[in-house]
Amino acid sequence: MDGEMACADLMLRGLPPDRSDCGTQRCRMGPAHMSRRGLNIGSPLLITVQGASCLCTAWPRRDRAEGYLQVDAKCASPDFSTEHASLSSARMKPVHCPKLKCLKVIVLVHSTEYKKHTSKDTVRELVKEMLRGLYVYEKHWVNVGDAGTEVKFIVIENVNSGSNRAGLVTAQTCLEIGTIHTVQQYRGQLQDTGHISLGGMDDIHASLMEIINLPVRYPGSLRKVGVPCPRGVLLIGPPGVGKTTLVRSVVREVGAFLVTVNGPAILGSRPGESEENLRRMFRQAREAAEEGPCVLFIDEIDSLCPRRAGSSSAPENRLVAQLLTLMDGIGSEDCFVIIGATNQPDRLDQALRRPGRFDREVIIGVPTLKQRRSILGSLSEQMPVSSSVDLTALAEVTSGYVAADLSALCREAALQAILHPSQDSVSQVVDQGHFHQALRRVQPSCLRTSLGVTDLRPVSWEQIGGLEDVKLKLKQSIEWPMKFPEAFVRMGLSRPRGVLLYGPPGCAKTTLVKAAATSSRCSFLSVSGADLFSPFVGDSEKALAQLFRQARACSPSILFLDEIDSIVGSRADSRVPHSVQAKVLSVLLNELDGVGLKSVERRGAGQRTCQTDGLPQNPRDTQMEYQEVCNTGVMLVAATNRPDALDSALLRPGRLDQIIDVPPPDTEARLAILQVCTERMALDPDVSLGELAVRTQWFSGADLENLCKEAALLTLHEEGMDAPTVQHKYFMKALQTMKPSLDPQQMEQHHQLFI
Amino acid sequence: MSNPALLSLHQLLKQSFRVVEQNHKVWKSVLLECSPLVSSLGNLGEQLRALKNVQVPQTPLGRFPDLQERLHYKLSIAVDTVMGKLGEKLDAFEAVRDAVSKQVSAAFQFYERNTGTLDIACCVNRSAVTPSLADMLEWLQDTDRYYRLQFLKRKNFLQTLKSDDLTLLETAPKRWESLSSPNAEEGISDMLFQVSFFMDSE
Repeated sequence: MDGEMACADLMLRGLPPDRSDCGTQRCRMGPAHMSRRGLNIGSPLLITVQGASCLCTAWPRRDRAEGYLQVDAKCASPDFSTEHASLSSARMKPVHCPKLKCLKVIVLVHSTEYKKHTSKDTVRELVKEMLRGLYVYEKHWVNVGDAGTEVKFIVIENVNSGSNRAGLVTAQTCLEIGTIHTVQQYRGQLQDTGHISLGGMDDIHASLMEIINLPVRYPGSLRKVGVPCPRGVLLIGPPGVGKTTLVRSVVREVGAFLVTVNGPAILGSRPGESEENLRRMFRQAREAAEEGPCVLFIDEIDSLCPRRAGSSSAPENRLVAQLLTLMDGIGSEDCFVIIGATNQPDRLDQALRRPGRFDREVIIGVPTLKQRRSILGSLSEQMPVSSSVDLTALAEVTSGYVAADLSALCREAALQAILHPSQDSVSQVVDQGHFHQALRRVQPSCLRTSLGVTDLRPVSWEQIGGLEDVKLKLKQSIEWPMKFPEAFVRMGLSRPRGVLLYGPPGCAKTTLVKAAATSSRCSFLSVSGADLFSPFVGDSEKALAQLFRQARACSPSILFLDEIDSIVGSRADSRVPHSVQAKVLSVLLNELDGVGLKSVERRGAGQRTCQTDGLPQNPRDTQMEYQEVCNTGVMLVAATNRPDALDSALLRPGRLDQIIDVPPPDTEARLAILQVCTERMALDPDVSLGELAVRTQWFSGADLENLCKEAALLTLHEEGMDAPTVQHKYFMKALQTMKPSLDPQQMEQHHQLFI
Repeated sequence: MSNPALLSLHQLLKQSFRVVEQNHKVWKSVLLECSPLVSSLGNLGEQLRALKNVQVPQTPLGRFPDLQERLHYKLSIAVDTVMGKLGEKLDAFEAVRDAVSKQVSAAFQFYERNTGTLDIACCVNRSAVTPSLADMLEWLQDTDRYYRLQFLKRKNFLQTLKSDDLTLLETAPKRWESLSSPNAEEGISDMLFQVSFFMDSE
């Protein structure tokens, strides 16, 4: 007894079985171990590893080595494996196996064809022959693939009508065959049917469900109406919005069989191999469709089916042609649905996008505010999120984030919570601080590759001296629509399309825009002539159009064009009629106020009215709805010091509708600027900023900043490196050497332009 | 060697090996007889294919009435005859399998009845002339399994053959060859060599 107690926690090392033992249901172990456990040669034994089990017979190892275990998993749970596992001998239990009277099984065969053409009696005879002499256990899979027949697995449904769990099959056992399935289909059914949570896609989800369900659930009524059921859906959307996840979730919900086609898996090296692979996939889908609903999913279909006109390679064209013929060849009797997903619909072959092939095209755009809120909600369901986290606020700051970005954000926040647990909370809870830290690390993916993304230093309104009315106007056009969407909707106002800041150089135009971008929570893109112009014909226009497309994808956004006069120029006084500038200008005019957007760029669920339908709603939710109505576009902010050089078409309302003059600073403004500039300087009490402001007529903001620098340098020069403060005389000295950069005549011209 | 159960199990094992030896010879001879039958089956398949491809009315033989149908009938009869003969061979295989199976299960049953006196140490004990009980039982089980699997494969092969599927008929000889597993068959011969001293001892 002592020996048995000692061996109860003996660890055995799992090794793969010998080749000669394959299919014998043997389990090899050391003879000493066998005798300690009281096992005889061939006594049945149940081995359990991590929830999966295997029934086998005990045999001594030929080399009599102890401490190893080699199991031939002929009759085991489908996910059983002993490799690389060390298991204690307590996991091995001898089982009493009586001779069986009756046995019920499910037969898994390789192909549907065999299933159709073979009678049940033949299968029963075969299966009986295969099972004879084997020990079987309830719910185990018996692997009979080594016999080389079409029958691959036999699943033991119950043993002796459920009164036993294990037993020995003999010639006298009465065998009952429940059903016959193909292996693939049965495995598909076994996969867990857990729901994949999806946020913000309810309507698209519903329409996909409808398409898949229609032919399956109501074949009769469809036939009566005389319409063939829709067969193809093309999902279009930027990367990361959840196209693949959507298909997975729908398929799982309907309980359909999913055949996935991957571009790389299809393409083969031999000529004709790719087409053959494609045909095989379609055949597989057709076979599966005979047993239930089936979806053939072609991910990244643009790689499989590119535009034929553009490519010169013959194999590619053949593959496209094959796909087209296969899609046409689906008869009305095979009801399986083809779903394709792509993020570059323009690169697809035109022949693919017609009814009969892809009947419907579903566009999934970058999520809007409400959709983001709902995605965040479904993502954070699984996470231990503290009650302080405001998901609505989080959705507001994550403009331009797609579902993949949001899930990365949540993951990062959770990681932060794990790596830096806050001191006061014992349990690991993700709070708002973690999300804010994560926001710094996770950037929206639509902005990752785009041009014009700038990493700007935040500037607050207070850092700009003077110019109060300009600041107010900017706030009106940029901040107000974000902060008070309700009022804007009530007044029938919309956000201005564009704002032009003009004024003499050095008067804080760029800094003003920076401050506006900092204060509003928009995405901010800034572009200069260097980004746009390229030596290739048509490249600049394309770059600008793409910039607008990206800005729209992550709207609300601000697009800043500094020195716009150099980028677009004017058509009127241009000496070269078809210069690049003129073309870029025409693109800009179109993007600002064109006929409409491309359908591919559609976002959200169409137009929704923001009327509350009688339900008592959270004021926050209402505001979110107003936000969605109000802030959808891109706002162009341009700055120039030569407004006269701009094309007049650009300056009309509807394009750049707010034209803001940034005047040279007057005395008060200069004082304010000086105060801001000298904030961090050690000033002597005798310095009179007021006097300086009076004396610096026609100085711009940049000049004033330079003056302060000059004075500080002079101090260091005269008094040595340990001078404590800057004295007034140095300011005056610096003033003597400096000339104002503005010139009164020029100012006069500026004023007369728009008055 | 004083254990009476061990002695009688040894006797039983010797008997089993003798049965296996005899039946293995029978099996091999039947298998040899089968191969001309199967190759003639393949030949008939080719003839049927040729008949299907030829347009008899367009040849000089077109004057004979219903020649194509008659030939087809004749060939089908021939296929049926060969299949019938193969069926008989299958019975011979089954007899071998049953004989071996019966002997092996008798040996196992005897072992299971006497597990009280035959402990594991005794089972794994081996000498120059006598292999261990565990090894001999294992060999017997392997042999039994080999015959069962072979019989199953060959029976399944004949069942799937249909006279109207010409490709199946044509490829029959090749597939018949691929059914045999030389390794396992060699294993039986090896086993018989290994137990030859044991069988000769009294």
